[in-house]
Amino acid sequence: MTPYISIGGYSDPPRIPHLSFEVNRGELVALVGEPGSGKSNLMKCLAGIRKSVRDSIRILGAEPGSMRSREKSVFVFQTFNYAQDIFLRTQLIQKISLLRGVSSRKVKDDVHDWCERMELQDACMKYPEKLNLSQLQLFSLAPVFLTSPSVAVLDEPLRNVSTSRVGAALSLILPAVENAAVLALVQKTSPILENADRIVTI
Amino acid sequence: MSGRMVFYYKSSILLLLRTRWMGPYLLLPPMLAFMVYAEAYLSAQGVTGIFTLEQRTVLAIWNASLLLTLIAGIKSCLFFSRFWGSFWFRNSLSLPVSRSSGFWGPFLATLSVATVMYFLTTGAVIAALPETGRFPWVQVLAELYVPVIWAVSAGALLGLITSGTAGSLFFIALVLLGFLTGMPSLYPSSGWLQVVVPPVGRIMTLSLVFPSGLMQAIILLTHSAVALMLGRFLYSVGIKRR
Repeated sequence: MTPYISIGGYSDPPRIPHLSFEVNRGELVALVGEPGSGKSNLMKCLAGIRKSVRDSIRILGAEPGSMRSREKSVFVFQTFNYAQDIFLRTQLIQKISLLRGVSSRKVKDDVHDWCERMELQDACMKYPEKLNLSQLQLFSLAPVFLTSPSVAVLDEPLRNVSTSRVGAALSLILPAVENAAVLALVQKTSPILENADRIVTI
Repeated sequence: MSGRMVFYYKSSILLLLRTRWMGPYLLLPPMLAFMVYAEAYLSAQGVTGIFTLEQRTVLAIWNASLLLTLIAGIKSCLFFSRFWGSFWFRNSLSLPVSRSSGFWGPFLATLSVATVMYFLTTGAVIAALPETGRFPWVQVLAELYVPVIWAVSAGALLGLITSGTAGSLFFIALVLLGFLTGMPSLYPSSGWLQVVVPPVGRIMTLSLVFPSGLMQAIILLTHSAVALMLGRFLYSVGIKRR
């Protein structure tokens, strides 16, 4: 079976000389590294928005950046997952409809229900700049829960979440693991490590 | 069109409808009123001669077009530079969206807003005139719309290659240079300058003359097409090199 995420011989000198591993369906793999160790650059390479020096990265068997690698994948960046000047609800609906491949009308109710369940119904009617980092992080993770992706790559998914909401954030990530390959790029203190199937250290 | 193609168009429209971007258009009415007043004053003083009704109408529409060109161009430089330079835009490329729509979406959104403003402004100008006289409406409105297309296209290119402020300043200089082409005493009537300098001013002076006015419109459209093709090329190079 083709691994959902495959990284073979990735390098980002001088920080990462060589990195090879795979993430299969149903696995949550944590890639652990110190701040500045090149995790975010790897994230950009996986998302296909940055060229790496030499690598053979494959997402669902396709090259990063190709439509095939993106259409069933969710990439959650540390910051700037949403535009500053558009209401969060509007952006979330747009994002979910894109990832599900359906019209915006068909996802409105799901987004509304999700916001209510997460107690974010007031926050979703605001611009991202009006929210605190913890709320923004939960909104960033929403597509992982709402779209049943095949691949989810998360850069520091719990870093900005307040202590009281770590459980809520994990409840968005963990159900996705059943059908997806989930790769979390984290520091060694991240609570997500307790739930990881494998830990890769760089 | 699927959501993948219109994602950036929709997002751009939502961004452009915010006060920050729509505000500059509020400058149009007072600037237009000032220009009409100044022209009427100069005419009364005998500086510019007496205008016929047709000339007054064309001049009023041209004033609207020039001011809109200026505002749309400056706004485009600022908007495109901010849009394509944002981290949000970079991160959004990981979504299942057409990456080429990342260029065309914001461009078409900006052009849509500018087009709506053009027809609102020229409509208001025509409504404000006591009489409009008899002249080829469609030709004049179409030819004077070309500078608006040119402004947004130039804004797209400048917004890609430089900062919003630098792009805006360069654009203002370009408009002023183009404005000179409408002054026959200052500008040669033939030669390579005819093709190289955007004939923004000349479009006005020739907008009632067929086919000269049409030729100027075609030259300006060619400028727009070149700016867009270059912009599209630089955009694709840019997103691959990120």
